[in-house]
Amino acid sequence: MNASSFDRILRKVVIVPVAALLAGAALLLWQISQANRTVALIEGCDTRIALTLRIEQLVVDQEAGLRGYEITHDPRLLQQYYVAQKALPAAFDRRASLVANNQRRDQVNSLRDAYETWQQTFASPLIATIDAGGETNDVNLNYDGKLRMDQIRARVAELNSLTESVRDKAVQQWHRQVRSTIVSLLVAAIAIGLIIGFYVRSLIQQVSTAFRQSHDVLRIRAEQTFRSEERLRTTLRSIADGVITCDRDGRVQSINDTAQELTGWSERDARDQPVELVFPIFDESTRQPLENPVARVTRSNQLVRLQNHTILIRRDGTEIYIEDSGSPIRDKHGELVGVVLVFRDVTVAKKSQEALVANEKLAVAGRLAATIAHEIHNPLDSVSNLLFLMDGVANDRERDQFLALAKQEIARVTQISRAMLSLYRESKAPVEIDLKELLDSILLLMESRFTAVGIAVAQTIPARLCIRGFPAELRQVFTNLITNASEAASPRGHITIAAESIPAGFDQLGIRREAGVLVTIDDDGPGIPPDILSHLFQPFYTTKGERGTGLGLWISRGIVTKHGGTIDLASSTGSDGHGTTATIFLPATPTLGTAVS
Amino acid sequence: MRSPQHLVLCVDDETIGLDVRRMLLERAGYRVLTALDGPTGLDLFAREPVDAVVLDYSMPGMHGGQVAQRMRQVKPSVPILMLSAYTSLPPEVTQIVTLAMTKGEGAPALLQKLGSILPPRASHL
Repeated sequence: MNASSFDRILRKVVIVPVAALLAGAALLLWQISQANRTVALIEGCDTRIALTLRIEQLVVDQEAGLRGYEITHDPRLLQQYYVAQKALPAAFDRRASLVANNQRRDQVNSLRDAYETWQQTFASPLIATIDAGGETNDVNLNYDGKLRMDQIRARVAELNSLTESVRDKAVQQWHRQVRSTIVSLLVAAIAIGLIIGFYVRSLIQQVSTAFRQSHDVLRIRAEQTFRSEERLRTTLRSIADGVITCDRDGRVQSINDTAQELTGWSERDARDQPVELVFPIFDESTRQPLENPVARVTRSNQLVRLQNHTILIRRDGTEIYIEDSGSPIRDKHGELVGVVLVFRDVTVAKKSQEALVANEKLAVAGRLAATIAHEIHNPLDSVSNLLFLMDGVANDRERDQFLALAKQEIARVTQISRAMLSLYRESKAPVEIDLKELLDSILLLMESRFTAVGIAVAQTIPARLCIRGFPAELRQVFTNLITNASEAASPRGHITIAAESIPAGFDQLGIRREAGVLVTIDDDGPGIPPDILSHLFQPFYTTKGERGTGLGLWISRGIVTKHGGTIDLASSTGSDGHGTTATIFLPATPTLGTAVS
Repeated sequence: MRSPQHLVLCVDDETIGLDVRRMLLERAGYRVLTALDGPTGLDLFAREPVDAVVLDYSMPGMHGGQVAQRMRQVKPSVPILMLSAYTSLPPEVTQIVTLAMTKGEGAPALLQKLGSILPPRASHL
């Protein structure tokens, strides 16, 4: 039930009883008016009866005066007679005007006739006789007078008896009306009472039903709200990530189970505490306190993520690595009302990752050791066999031959050992290098080799291409790449070496690149199939069989990376334009990283 | 005491190492066949009446384990001595070959081990 239907019911509650009472009052009024008419009728009867009686009285008064005069002959006694005689015409007129119907009028007229007959035929002659001194003792005359008088009386009685019978009827009717009014009043009262009662009851029932329904709905809604709130609370509590909510001032409002476990703060202790106290975070390497995400979210009013290497110091002082994000809590108007922090313990993941890296380093070292063993055991085997042969039966020529072979094998061991050492040799500080000079010196050293296999080298290297770096290492990189190119192009192929200075900008992939030098080394060899190309930077991967260590490109990339640069290989094996391009970018002033790891 | 007539097949991709090993075995009285890779070795092994094989493990293309497996399929009775520059070999390889040893253990060890796996030749005793 809504407000308008409730208003309608309220209006009905007022209007219906008023209307019912008005109807009752109208009925009562009608009854009363009917009764009043009856009363008026009765009153009319009374008036007529009284008037008729008055007329009779006047006539009687006349007769009495007449009789007194007849007896005494004293005219004074006639005064009464004349007074009555004077009043009678008006009384008759009045009485005539009050008749209810023609019959009554006739009766009134006949009464008047009887009177006038008495007065004219008896009274007036009698007075005249007496006045004339005549005798009035005549029995017949008096008897005649009496008869006429009786006639008047009879007429009066007749008139009044008729009027009285009308009056009686009216009185009876009045009684009936009063009874019927009482009955009507009772019936109306009961009916109106019942109508109002039932009607109001039905309305109240409607209101009550609606109220009960609203109440039920409210109760169900309240239950639902409670349940959903409970479900949310349980969800939040059982979520595996730590969740802390704060108000705008950065005071802790709630902290779920995981967060309590991770921070070491119970909900009771943490509540209303500054988040910096409950959730103190530091940079892993610098150990400097980090700005709390709540402050950052409040400032930026958007989601922020923690930088990597964040440490949370727990309440007991122990440390855990965490990943974290903070998001603003907004009300429905979009106003910031708080901040929610979500974080998780990544200590195990971090340690696992460290262990993996260490593992990988060990594996690399292990593979390296195996390679060294392999590379050294082969010449060592030959040398030990040669020594055995020299020790046994051998002539001088054979001895020289064995010695030469042994020296050759020892040189191989030395070469391998040097190559391995160069991997780990690090200069103290970078120096300025002119790449033009560096590349020229390498090409000069390799010139005889190129001539031997008929390789033509073209180069476009502008003067003064200066970068900062470690020259010995870069020499190793370029020697490696140019050797690879010459071997690929052999025999009678072409190598093109180009270098250019490039300003800061973006590379083909849209990654930001600082200013530096780009060197490309092209060959027109057969090219490298994609499945091999993808392995070329892995350590110990070689396509040169026993001639290669499989470390050249791996080490080269380590060196270039250390110089903050990049090295890429692209190759085509198609019948047209086959060949391989090595691209090396070296920044002019690198932020030097760590060496090969 | 050993039969000088034993024919030994040496397979190794290291040219110098193979040459030196051939000279050493010839001095010790063996007849020696050499091959620089697995397929060549298998070819010789099938054609010649080889008494024993000295096989290098680490070779490009077909490694010693694969070569030994093929040889076992052709002539299962011929003893194989596996040489390796690595200190440890996979167990499935050591199970196939008669004996395995590490390169660099020295010539006497090689000769002693080769002698131990060769069947005595009655006709030359």
